[in-house]
Amino acid sequence: MLLVVGPSGSGKSTLARAVAGLLPEEFPGEWHGSFRVGDADVARGDDGRVADSGSGAAPVTTAGLGAGIVLQDPTSQLVMERVGDDVAFGLENLGWTRAAMRERVPEALAGVGLRGFDDRRSTRLSGGEQQRVAIAGVLAPGPGVLVLDEPTAHQDPGGAEAVFRILRSIREREAATIVLVEHRAELAWPLADLVLALDDDGRPIDAGPPTDVLKRSARRLERAGIWLPADGARRSRARPAASLASKRVLGSEPVLEIGELRFGFTPGAPVLRAVDLVLLPGERVGLVGRNGTGKTTLLRLALGLLEPMAGRIRLGGRDPRRLTALELARLAGFVAQEPELGFLGESVRDEIELGLAPDQVPYAHDLAERLRLPLADFADRSPYRLSGGEQRRLSLVTGLARRPLLLALDEPTFGQDRRGHQALVAALAELVGEGSAMLAATHDERFVRDATDRRVELADGWVLADEPVPITRAGA
Amino acid sequence: MTAATFLAPDLSAAQRESVLGRTNPLLKLGISLAWLIGLGLTLDVRPPLILAVIALVAGLQLGEIQPGTLARRLAPLAFAALAIGLTNLLFSTHNPDPAAHEVLRIGPLRITEEALEAAAGLGARVIAIVSFGAVFVLTTDATRLMDALVQQARVSPRFAYGVLAAYQAVPRLGDDLATLRAARRLRGLRELHLSLLVGLLVRAIRHADVLSIAMDARGFGPGPRSSYRTVAWTRLDLVVGAGALVIVLVALVVSR
Repeated sequence: MLLVVGPSGSGKSTLARAVAGLLPEEFPGEWHGSFRVGDADVARGDDGRVADSGSGAAPVTTAGLGAGIVLQDPTSQLVMERVGDDVAFGLENLGWTRAAMRERVPEALAGVGLRGFDDRRSTRLSGGEQQRVAIAGVLAPGPGVLVLDEPTAHQDPGGAEAVFRILRSIREREAATIVLVEHRAELAWPLADLVLALDDDGRPIDAGPPTDVLKRSARRLERAGIWLPADGARRSRARPAASLASKRVLGSEPVLEIGELRFGFTPGAPVLRAVDLVLLPGERVGLVGRNGTGKTTLLRLALGLLEPMAGRIRLGGRDPRRLTALELARLAGFVAQEPELGFLGESVRDEIELGLAPDQVPYAHDLAERLRLPLADFADRSPYRLSGGEQRRLSLVTGLARRPLLLALDEPTFGQDRRGHQALVAALAELVGEGSAMLAATHDERFVRDATDRRVELADGWVLADEPVPITRAGA
Repeated sequence: MTAATFLAPDLSAAQRESVLGRTNPLLKLGISLAWLIGLGLTLDVRPPLILAVIALVAGLQLGEIQPGTLARRLAPLAFAALAIGLTNLLFSTHNPDPAAHEVLRIGPLRITEEALEAAAGLGARVIAIVSFGAVFVLTTDATRLMDALVQQARVSPRFAYGVLAAYQAVPRLGDDLATLRAARRLRGLRELHLSLLVGLLVRAIRHADVLSIAMDARGFGPGPRSSYRTVAWTRLDLVVGAGALVIVLVALVVSR
C-alpha cells in the first residue's frame, strides 16, 4: 500500500486520478514525464501535452487498468438512484452475470456495514453513508489497483475504523495494490508499505518505507503542514482559550435556543425526536454522533432552512424562519458540508465579497489570508477548480466573514492539513471571544479537543450526552 | 441532503407497486402517443378533456398517486395551458374576419365564435398532454424506464443513461433552486434574482460533468455490459394496453 500525504492543494487528488486512469481524458492540463500503471502507459507522449486519441492506441481507462477509484466527494460518485443498483453498476460494466451480481451486491454492502440498504435512495443517505456506498461499489468487482481519495473524510469514528479494517484485510490478502490519500495519519501510516510526501508545489519531499521517511524527514513533513502519526495522541498545540466562557454573565441572551424539537423528512420516520439545546455567547459546541443521526438536519433547522414538525427554535431570540435574509446573514454564518453547493460567485474574489457591506470586506480578505487563500494568488481562480481542502476553506471564509452571532459549521475540518486546522481553530476562538457562539457538527475528535468546550452527542434523534470537554493543555 | 427533496420524483412504494406502476414504461409511452395521435383526428373539445380526466382518474386510482402530489405537479402546467388558450383566443386570426360570428366586443377587442372554438380545442389538448405527462412521471420509476429502453427497445446504454440523466434533471433543478435560494439567503441576498438562472445553468453543467466522470471511473464504456435488473412484458401490459385502446376509440366515437 502506498500512502500519499501532502498539504492541501499539493496535487494528491490529481495524482490519485492519474493512477486510476482518469487523466488525461477527464482533466485537461499539461503533463510531463512518464507514468506507468502495470503495463499501461498512462501519460503516453512526453511532449508536454496531454496525450489524446491521436496517438492511435486505445485510450487508457479505469476499467482497462483493472483499477477502481473512490473519489473525494462521495456524492459525485454515485450513478444510480438506489443503493443496490449503484453497487451493481460497476459489475454490469464488466459484464457479470445476474446471478453473480445478486450474490455479490449484498455482500459488498454488508462489507461496509450497510447490510439491507439495497433499496434505499442514495440521495437520502448521510454524507458518510454515501461514502461507504461508493466504497462498496468500487470494491465489488475486486479491482487490482484500488485508489482511495480521503475515504474517511465524512466518516464517524466507527465508520473510519471499518474502512481501515477493509483496507487491512485487502492488504493482508494481497488482493490489490492500494493507493491511499488520507489525512488521518494515526490510522493510515501503520498500514502503509510506502509513503510519498508532497510539498505545496506538488514536488516530492520524500518517499520510502514509513519508518525511514519519519526518521529522515519528520521535521520537513511537519513544516509542510502534513499530519504525522504521533499527532493523533498528542494535542497539536495548546487550545486557544475560550476567553468569553468566563464572561458568561447573568442575563446574557442565548444565541440559540432549541426546545422539544421534532423533525422528520417523512411523517413516519422522525430524524430528531425531542432535542433540547441552548447556546450562550462564547460557547463552542461540538455536535457529534454517528453518520445519519441528524447533525446536519439540526444545523439546517437552527438556521430556519427546514421547518420543524414541533418544538421551538430561537436564533438571537427570533424565529429563524421569520427573519429577512439580511437579518439571518447577520445572525448566523453557515458552512455547509458540501462547499460546492453554496458557491454563488464566478471567482474566489466574487465568492468572498458577495453580499458583504464595504466595511466587512477588509476582515473577509484578512480571513482569507489567514486560512491560506491569499487573494494575491486565488482572486481570479474559479471556486469549482480548487482542491477539496481549498474549497472547504473558501466556504469557511464566506461563512465567517460577517462575524455572525452563531457559527454553524458542518464538518469544518475535512481535507485540512495541520496548518489549515490550526488557522481555523485560531480564527474560531477569536470570533467566539468577541461573543459569537459556535455549533460544529463534526467527526473530527481532534477538532472537538482543540476547538470546543462542550460536546453534544446525538443518537437516535435524542441528545445522548451534553458534557464539557476536559481542558488539558499541551505541556501543562 | 437538500431541502426540496419533495420535488424529486420519489415514487412511494405504493406508487411503484400500483397497477400503473407495474405497467411497462414503454407501454405507457406508447399509450400516451396513441392517445395524442387519436386527438389529432378531431378538432372537437370533448375528446381531449375526456381523455385527460380518464388519465388523471387512472393516475389516482390505478397509480396510487396522492391527490396533493398530483395537484402540485399540475398547477403550474394547467396555468400554462390556460395562458396558451387565452393568447390564442385574443389574437386569433378569426377575430378580425368580418364573416366570423361575434360573441363579445370590449372596445377594440372583438371575440368570435370561431376563435373561441379553436382556442378551447387547443387549450384542451394542452391540458391532455400535461395530464398524460404528469401521470406518466408520477407512476414511472426512472431506473425502470431506462432498463426498459435498453432491454426491450434495444436502445444503446449510453443513450439510455442520457435519457435517465435528462429525466432526473427536472426534479434536480428543483433541488438546485432550493439550495441556491438557501445559499443566497444565508449571504443576506434576495432569494429571487436573475442570477439564479445563471447559477442553475452552472449547476446543471456541473452535474452532467460529474456524472460522466463518475460513470467513466466506474468503467462504463462502449463494451458489452450485463444488467442487474430485468424488465419483461407481462399479461398486465396486455390488459392495460387493450383497455387504453378501447378508451381512445370510445372517446373519439362519442364525440361524433
